[in-house]
Amino acid sequence: MAEVKKPPRVNLRQIDKIIAGYRGRKWALIPLTQAIQEQVGYIPKEVIPRIAAALGLFPAQVQGVITFYAQLYTEPRGKNIVRVCRGTACHVRGGKSILKLVRQYLDLEEGETSPDMEYTLETVACIGVCALAPNLMVNKETHGNMNPKKIARLFGGRVKE
Amino acid sequence: MEAITITLNGVEVSGYAGMTILDLARESGVYIPTLCHDPNLASTGACRLCLVEDEPSGALHASCVAPIAPGMVINTHSPRVVAHRKAILKLMLASHPDSCLVCDKGNRCQLRQLASDMGIGLVEFQRIPQPGVIEEVNPFIQRDLSKCIMCGKCIRADQEMVVVGAIDYIHRGSAVRPTTLNDVPLEKSECTFCGTCVAICPTGAIMEKEKAYTGTATSTVDTVCPYCGCGCNLNLGVRDGLVVRVRPSAPSPVNRGTLCVRGSYGYDFIHSPERLRRPLVRVDGELQETTWEDALQQAAAGLQKVVEKSGPESLAVFGSPRCTNEENYLLQRLARCVLGTNSVDNGSRLYSAASRIGLGATIGYAGTTGFLEVLERSRVIMVIGANPEVSAPLVDYTVKQAVRFKGARLCVIDPCRTRLTGFASLWLRPRIGTDIALLNGLARIIIDEKKLDVEFVTRRTDNYAPWARSLQKYTPDYVEKVTGVPGQDIRAAARLFADAEEASIVYGNGITLHADGTSAVIALANLAMLTGNIGRNGGIFALQRECNAHGACDMGTLPNFLPGYQLVDDARARQKFEEKWGCRMPEGAGLNALEMLAPGSRVRGMFITGENPAVSFPQPARVKEALASLDCLVVADMFLTETARLAAVVLPSASFAEKEGTFTSFEGRVQRLRRAIPPVGESLPDGGIIQRLAEALGVPMPYTSYQQITDEIEEIVPFYQHTAFKNAGDGELELTDIEKGLFGTRRLHKGLFPSGFGRFTPVEQLTPTDVAKDGYPLTLLAGTVLFQFGTGSRSRRTSRLGRFRSEAFLEIGGADAKSYRIKDGDAVVITSEKGRLDTTARISDALPPGVLFMPISFPESPVYELFATSLNHQARAPALKSCAVKLERTTANG
Repeated sequence: MAEVKKPPRVNLRQIDKIIAGYRGRKWALIPLTQAIQEQVGYIPKEVIPRIAAALGLFPAQVQGVITFYAQLYTEPRGKNIVRVCRGTACHVRGGKSILKLVRQYLDLEEGETSPDMEYTLETVACIGVCALAPNLMVNKETHGNMNPKKIARLFGGRVKE
Repeated sequence: MEAITITLNGVEVSGYAGMTILDLARESGVYIPTLCHDPNLASTGACRLCLVEDEPSGALHASCVAPIAPGMVINTHSPRVVAHRKAILKLMLASHPDSCLVCDKGNRCQLRQLASDMGIGLVEFQRIPQPGVIEEVNPFIQRDLSKCIMCGKCIRADQEMVVVGAIDYIHRGSAVRPTTLNDVPLEKSECTFCGTCVAICPTGAIMEKEKAYTGTATSTVDTVCPYCGCGCNLNLGVRDGLVVRVRPSAPSPVNRGTLCVRGSYGYDFIHSPERLRRPLVRVDGELQETTWEDALQQAAAGLQKVVEKSGPESLAVFGSPRCTNEENYLLQRLARCVLGTNSVDNGSRLYSAASRIGLGATIGYAGTTGFLEVLERSRVIMVIGANPEVSAPLVDYTVKQAVRFKGARLCVIDPCRTRLTGFASLWLRPRIGTDIALLNGLARIIIDEKKLDVEFVTRRTDNYAPWARSLQKYTPDYVEKVTGVPGQDIRAAARLFADAEEASIVYGNGITLHADGTSAVIALANLAMLTGNIGRNGGIFALQRECNAHGACDMGTLPNFLPGYQLVDDARARQKFEEKWGCRMPEGAGLNALEMLAPGSRVRGMFITGENPAVSFPQPARVKEALASLDCLVVADMFLTETARLAAVVLPSASFAEKEGTFTSFEGRVQRLRRAIPPVGESLPDGGIIQRLAEALGVPMPYTSYQQITDEIEEIVPFYQHTAFKNAGDGELELTDIEKGLFGTRRLHKGLFPSGFGRFTPVEQLTPTDVAKDGYPLTLLAGTVLFQFGTGSRSRRTSRLGRFRSEAFLEIGGADAKSYRIKDGDAVVITSEKGRLDTTARISDALPPGVLFMPISFPESPVYELFATSLNHQARAPALKSCAVKLERTTANG
């Protein structure tokens, strides 16, 4: 069993520095949240009031925008993001089974992050390389023509004893 | 502006550019159904029910957001439009529960009304229920999101109208719902429970909770809120003689759809079981019920006996800023003409005297100089010594709207953090009691940097040069030393204020209740005149604590003024009233309320209406003694207050919902109260009580209706001359110009002062006397809290307000708590030179070091015991904002 690590502490000083660059610019909410996510990996809940105060918005408003966009996260995410494609092409070529296998190997449901913060499992509507279906991505790398053997090669190390 | 003509349902109509199709349709009397539209909100086109068809293009427009364009041929009810509307409605109903039978919204539900209008019965779509009731413990608002139709009105009301920002949408698509930050219950969020979202929700998704009386109102009455001085218009819903609900009055130009928690939920006191229903007289030391005749006769006999024994000047009358203008007018006539004493006062004088004298000396008019719309369009707003969120929520909303939506810049001068400081571009935290130095310092910087409005100063004011010389010593360095505010912040504030085209100042009891309150008001007025921000642009907004504080003073319920601030000492003014009333009036100013009850006072008999000096005065224990030792005390009140318990005769008064009359709001609007229900029990409006008492005293007053009194006020009180509400359809007119012929002007001065010129008046910062000193190292601030009001006689008897956050407490800053080793909830004792008080500590991050805060609304924890009764020399009022204390921990819990 993988070692359970606590989610990392939020480095508020680092985030405040990012926020300071956008102070007073209401329009900059999305670039700012993206910048925070870029550096921290997610947008910690406790920084929402700070973002709101700096931009002259209400905290609830900021939360509304963050929860609206699928690309913005309020929970810490794993080191590796696995995105399994659920697009039509992947679906007809067995994408459902691929997802099932990945879930088993990683012991994760969709949207979950492993307790050791190594993996986050997500599904996407289409990666855009339907010719290679079924597809999945690990971080920025695309893996096409997936089959159980390839999945075992990618995630085999995670199987429970 | 160019007119745009379109064809609407076959008829040509014209509007102006920027108008939406819906605006034009409403103006032309064409009905278009809506759910998410409200005139007080920016339109978003969320519900799509207002779809209309543009025939040339075949497009379906959401009419609430689509602007009119030349050549449009709009059809609001074409078969295609109707079919779409029905489909939209059915989709809403498919995710709406079938609980209409038991839903309290009943036929007021707009969704249900529209479904029935369009003949939609059961819906054939697959039902997709939404999540249901959110468990919350607050006693005001209940959210059942299964009934939510995602119109977004609550969110927009929260953000645009009251500018609190407690709620917004969360998530997206079918998971979307309005909620608080981190999805916590309302009581743990920023929500202030103003009830605006409850009033605006078209369905039963947001409802009032724990109502004292249930049932749908059968009739409604528009009247005026009886709490703070904002004068919000209320709509009371009445059923079977009971007030069952309160809503903001829809078309009101004053509060524009908003209220605060007191206005929305603070009316249960009307039907409180503690209401006095019959007169009481003291028999063998106990108060016993009796008839009106008996009670009045005993009251009259008691007062007459005092006159026989010690003369009329030993009588005193204490009136209330919660009574109407008419009642105050009658009361001072009772005092002066019937009882023959000038010792008549009202409770608002304690805190508004500084304003009246300070503004009177400088600008020549004793009140707020503009309407809230002036404040709303100001480019810079300075809020000093006021927390309008608590003391005048409507002003708080206006300031926040100006900042968030109109681009105004806010400068808050307050040692404590308030919600407004979060909106401020500049927040100065001076030491308590050093406002005058700060204001003088600002003026000096403005003069030094030549940012003054030279034209205004030379043409409209006098005494400039001596005043400017008096500012010599208030250099930024000196002011920094006195106030503790960094010099650069002082400079920034001065520039901010002077550079603005229109700048306004909002101040409240944090200024007027200090020992030097009058001087601070003068310093404020000097600053406003220096920058030309009076009459022409911007203005001074003096917050009033009580609903009719303005009116009570205007009506002459004052020891030294007749109605309309005509001096008692002025023989000609006196003669005018003597002729009118056919009586002889006493000469010379009378005693003010504190002098009436001071030790060794000559007063032996008192008539008190609607005031509770046994709690609201400094040194309440001593005041109680003084009241108890009177030969005759007659009290008219709704409840058996601490004061009424000491009376020989107690007369039951009617509440605001049971009487007619007018209140004058802090803006200077004279607004009409309308009777919603008959008086509870045998109670009578205070005006009726005063007239009956006058009759029992053998000098009846010749009024048979309120209208007669109002007419007389118009005739005899100079600046009420144009307030003939009988001629106004909506029953509301503003106190406008003092000059005749300028009726209808929205500004008081138009650049001219009533006396011709504004007068700069030098004021000096003295060493503050009401702050920490040797032996008493902390400064205690006393003030109000949002969920209570005044001394709490009404708010504490209002079941929901009474229960919510109803414990007395002492707020202490985090650093002080650490050095005193006090934890949240520890029992502490505070001691001043005058008294001591046991209470519970609560740690707050709003306070600067060395400062404590305590609310005044809890009689079981009478904070005024700690305050001295000494009167300041200018306003003849006590300093009731702060005092020096020391603090000890009595026990520690854990």
